[in-house]
Amino acid sequence: MIKIEIINSPIIPFISDDNRQQDGSELVFNGRVRAKEHGEAIIALEYEQYVGMAKNELQQLAEETAIKYPIHDLFCKHRIGRVNVGETSLHIVIWSKHRKEGIDALSWFILELKKRVPIWKWAILVDGSRIPSKCDHEH
Amino acid sequence: MKVTVKCFSQVKYALGTDDLVLKLDIGTTTEILEKVIREKAGGKLDGVSLRVAVNQKYVPENTELNDGDEVAFIPPVQGG
Repeated sequence: MIKIEIINSPIIPFISDDNRQQDGSELVFNGRVRAKEHGEAIIALEYEQYVGMAKNELQQLAEETAIKYPIHDLFCKHRIGRVNVGETSLHIVIWSKHRKEGIDALSWFILELKKRVPIWKWAILVDGSRIPSKCDHEH
Repeated sequence: MKVTVKCFSQVKYALGTDDLVLKLDIGTTTEILEKVIREKAGGKLDGVSLRVAVNQKYVPENTELNDGDEVAFIPPVQGG
């Protein structure tokens, strides 16, 4: 099963499920906002999305991931709007029979997300000014 | 014909607007429109690679536009 959410409020993690009897691996990833962007101190990032296309691309990517790798479920929440330093902007949980396919799927999913899902970051600097983030790598 | 150009990130920053409605000649392609957008940006998009989406789907270069299309020139994405 695929579950995708793009939300404009703090991320509440998906609940860990103790009833799964076929999944030996439950991987949880939280992407958080660092205190520096390109070496410059920031107080927050503001995430902008292309409404509609961002969710469609994320959904399609999740479905492709579940076809490409033998995982059972992929749940993902991406936060939009202002996200303060230290807070979670991306939350992913993948369940699979074994850890390897889950780790591979997680890695590929994030890599592709950073290539094709139309979401961008604006850096909120210490003086309160707001500029597009220069970050366009795939870290 | 008229198309709407949605602006995000560096494109929004360069043009100072969320969207533009432009009147174009029939047969205008995304390649021609991209040149128009880059000219409007006055050099602020030089060196910025842009992918094109029409009606919220990525399209190949030089796709012909139709009346009422929603076009976005998508700078490198940064989710995560």
